[in-house]
Amino acid sequence: MLETFNSLMMGFAVAFDPKVFMYAVGGCIIGTLVGMMPGLGPLAGISLLLPATFGLNPIIAIVLLAGVYYGAMYGGSTTSILMRIPGEAASVMTCVDGYAMTQNGRAGPALAIAAIGSFFAGTVGVIGLMLMAPTLASFALRFGPPEYTALLLMGLFVLAYMSGGSMLKTLAMAFFGLLLGMIGIDVMSGYTRFSFGMVELGDGVGIVPVAVGLFGISEILMTAGQAEPPKVQRPKLRELIPSREEFRLSLGPIVRGSLLGFAIGIIPGSAHVISSFVSYGVERRLSKHPERFGKGAIEGVAGPESANNSAATGAFVPMLALGIPTGPVTAVMIAAIMVHGILPGPMLIQQQPDLFWGFVASMYVGNLVLLILNLPMVGLFVNLLRIPYAYLYPCVLAFCILGCYSVSNSVTDVWIMLAMGAIGYGLRKFGFDLAPVALGLVLGPMLELSLRQSLALSGGTYGIFLERPIALTMFVLALVLLAFALKPVIFKGKDWRAGVGLDDPPPG
Amino acid sequence: MKTRYLLPVVLLACGVAQAQDVFPSRTITMIVPFPPGGVADVTGRPTAAALEKVLKQPVAVTNRPGAGGAVGNAAVANAKPDGYTVLMALSSITVIPEADKLFNRKPAYTLEQFAPVALVSADPVILVVHPSLPVKTVKEVIALARKQPGELSYSSSGVYGALHMPMEMFLHAAKLKMRHVPTTGGGPAITQLLGGHVTMTAGGPAAITSHVKAGKLRPIVTWGAERHPNYKEVPTFKEQGMDIVYYIWAGMFVPVATPEPAVKVLRDAMRQAVADPDFKSQMAKVNSPVSYLDAPDFAKYVDADAKRLAAVVKVVGKVGN
Repeated sequence: MLETFNSLMMGFAVAFDPKVFMYAVGGCIIGTLVGMMPGLGPLAGISLLLPATFGLNPIIAIVLLAGVYYGAMYGGSTTSILMRIPGEAASVMTCVDGYAMTQNGRAGPALAIAAIGSFFAGTVGVIGLMLMAPTLASFALRFGPPEYTALLLMGLFVLAYMSGGSMLKTLAMAFFGLLLGMIGIDVMSGYTRFSFGMVELGDGVGIVPVAVGLFGISEILMTAGQAEPPKVQRPKLRELIPSREEFRLSLGPIVRGSLLGFAIGIIPGSAHVISSFVSYGVERRLSKHPERFGKGAIEGVAGPESANNSAATGAFVPMLALGIPTGPVTAVMIAAIMVHGILPGPMLIQQQPDLFWGFVASMYVGNLVLLILNLPMVGLFVNLLRIPYAYLYPCVLAFCILGCYSVSNSVTDVWIMLAMGAIGYGLRKFGFDLAPVALGLVLGPMLELSLRQSLALSGGTYGIFLERPIALTMFVLALVLLAFALKPVIFKGKDWRAGVGLDDPPPG
Repeated sequence: MKTRYLLPVVLLACGVAQAQDVFPSRTITMIVPFPPGGVADVTGRPTAAALEKVLKQPVAVTNRPGAGGAVGNAAVANAKPDGYTVLMALSSITVIPEADKLFNRKPAYTLEQFAPVALVSADPVILVVHPSLPVKTVKEVIALARKQPGELSYSSSGVYGALHMPMEMFLHAAKLKMRHVPTTGGGPAITQLLGGHVTMTAGGPAAITSHVKAGKLRPIVTWGAERHPNYKEVPTFKEQGMDIVYYIWAGMFVPVATPEPAVKVLRDAMRQAVADPDFKSQMAKVNSPVSYLDAPDFAKYVDADAKRLAAVVKVVGKVGN
C-alpha cells in the first residue's frame, strides 16, 4: 500500500510537470469539444492527433490522447441532453431522460449531474486501475467467447426494463435492431448478407449513423412537424443547480453505474458500449417509480453517464497491464506509445513506472480539470437553448452530417443517418421507443460472433457454456433476470406497466 | 481602367497553369483501408509524414475502413487517376478479389486497377502457442495435432484474413485439421490465445514481441524466407522441410491510369522517404522494419504473392461447407 502511495506521488510529480499538465488540460478541452460534436467520437479525435504525438515524449503523448478520450466521454452527454443527439454511441441512453429533462426545463441539473457522475466514475475508474490493474487484467483475459456470449445475453435481457412503452413494441424494436445488425459480411464464413452488392455495407451499418439518425434527425423532424414553433427556453440561473432531491436520487445510480461500468470496461472487446444500456436497465429495475423513466428521471442520466465514463477508464486496464487493445481507441493509443519504442505489454508497469504512474496521476488531474471545466459551462451550454429553432436546427443538422461523415469518411453513412432519421420519425409517430433499436444493433453482431466462436471452439457442442464457471454463473444470472422479466407476462397485472396504464398505446 | 484589374488576373492564371504542370501542387490523400491503430495505419502515418518532407506538400491520411479493406481499396481503384489519391494497402489486397470470385460476388475491385508504387514493409508471421502447451518445435505441434485430430484450435484475424491464410498454408502442407476461431482483427486473435481459449495463432512480430518477452506466448516457427533478426532462435518453415512462405506486407498503390510522370515523382519520393532516418527509426520501433522495393520489383512481388494466395483460397474453399 505504501509502495503504491509512493509510486503515485512520483506519478503526480510527473503529472504536475508544467508541460505534461498543459497537454493534459489541452487534451481534455479538445476531447470535450470532440465529444460535443454529434457523431464525432473519441476515435476520430485521437486518430487525428496521433501524428502530432510522434514528436512528443511518450508520457505527454499518452496523457494528451487519454485526455481527448475521456474528455470526449464527458462531452458526449451535452448534445444528448440538450438536443437529443448522441455525441457518441455510449450516450444513446442519456438522450432518453436527459432530453426529457431539458423539455421539463431541467437541462441545467441534467448537465450538472452528468458532469458530477462522470467525475465520480472517472475517479473510481482510476482508483481501480491503480490498485488492481494487473490482477484484474489477468481475470479479464479469462473472458473468452463463451463468457462473452453469457455477458451479452444478460445485456439483451436488460431490454425488458429499458423501455417505457408496451413490451410488444419494445421487442419489435429490439428485433428491428438485431436485424439491422445482420447486415454485412458474416465474420465466420465470409458470406455477405443483405448488402445488395454495396461494398460499403460490407461491415454492416455503424451505430453512430443509426443513433444520430434515429434520435437526433427524428427530433429535428418532429419539431419541424409541430403546428406551432416550440417555445424557446429561458433558463434562470437558479434552475441550473440540481435540487437536493435530485442529488439524493442520483447518488445511488452514480455509485452503481461507476462500479458496473468499470467491471464491463475491463473486458477486452467492445462491450463497454453496453455498460450505459445495462446501467439504465438496472436503475429502472431498482427504482420505486419506474414509470418516471423516459419522462425525465434524473437517475436515467446519472447511471448511464457514470457507467460510460468508468467503462472508458476500465478499458485502460488490459491496455496498460497486458498491452492488448480493448477497442479501436486503445489500439491507437498503443500505436502512439509504440512509435516511441515502448512496448505495451505485461512488463510495462515495471519497466516504465513513470509512464504508468504519470498516466494514472494525470487522469486524476484530468478528471478534476474536466469537472471544473464543465460545471461552469453548464450555464453557457444551456443558453444554447435560447437560440430560436429556426437558426439552431439547421446548424445542428449540418454538424450531424459532418460528424457522421467523419467517422469513416463515408457518404454511405450519411445516407444511412438520413434514412434512419426518416424511419425514426415514422416510428415515433406511432409511439415506438427507439433505444431498443440501438441496443439490438450493438448487441446483435457481438452476440452472434461470440456464440459462433464458442461453438467453433467446442466443435459444435453447447456443453462449452456449462463447463466454464464464469460463463455458467452469468448464464444463471441471465436466467434469473429473464424470469423476473417474464413474471408479469405470466402473472398478468403484476407489472408496473399495467399499474400506470403504459401497456395502452401512449396518447398522440 | 480595366487593364489594371486584368494584370493580376492574368498573373494569377499563369500561376495556376504553372502549378498544374508540377506534380504535386496540392494535398495528396493517402487512403488507409483499415481503422486507426492497425498495421496499415501505423505504417501509413509515418510514411505520409516522411513523404511530406520530400514532396513539400501535405499528405493527409484518410481511414476508409470496411469489409476487411475492400472499401478503401475499391475507393482508390475508382478514384480520379491524377496521383493525388494513393493507397497504403496490406497484403490482403490480393485475397479479397479471390474471395469475391469464390462467392460469385461482383468484385469490389480487381488487381488490374492498381499500379504498384513501392513496397514499404514486409513482416513474416510467426506461429505462437500458449505456453501451457507442451510443444517447443513445429514437429511436436504436428505430432500433437495428429494425436488429437480436430481438437486443437487457432484464432485468426477473420476468414480469408491476413492471419487465416498462413495457418491454412501450414495445415494444408502438414495435412492437419484444427478448429478455426475467426475474430475481428490481429489484436483480438492474440487476446484469444493469451487467455488460453485457443491453442495457437499466427502473429506479426510487432504484435507478439512484448508477450513473448514476458513468457506469455511461445514462438515456434516463422513463415519468413529467413530467420527474423529479433527472433534468431526461431527456425523457418523451410528449415523444417516445409516449403511455405508468408509475409504481411504494406505497400503503396495508385489507380492504374495515373499518368507516368506523377507515378515517377511518387516513386522517387518514396525512395527518399524510406531512407529518412526518422522514418526508419519509427518503423523499427513498431517492430516493422522497412523493406523497400521500387515499382518494377514490387509488381513482381505482388504477382507472386497473389498467385500463392489465390491457390490457398481455392484450397480453403468456402468455409463451413
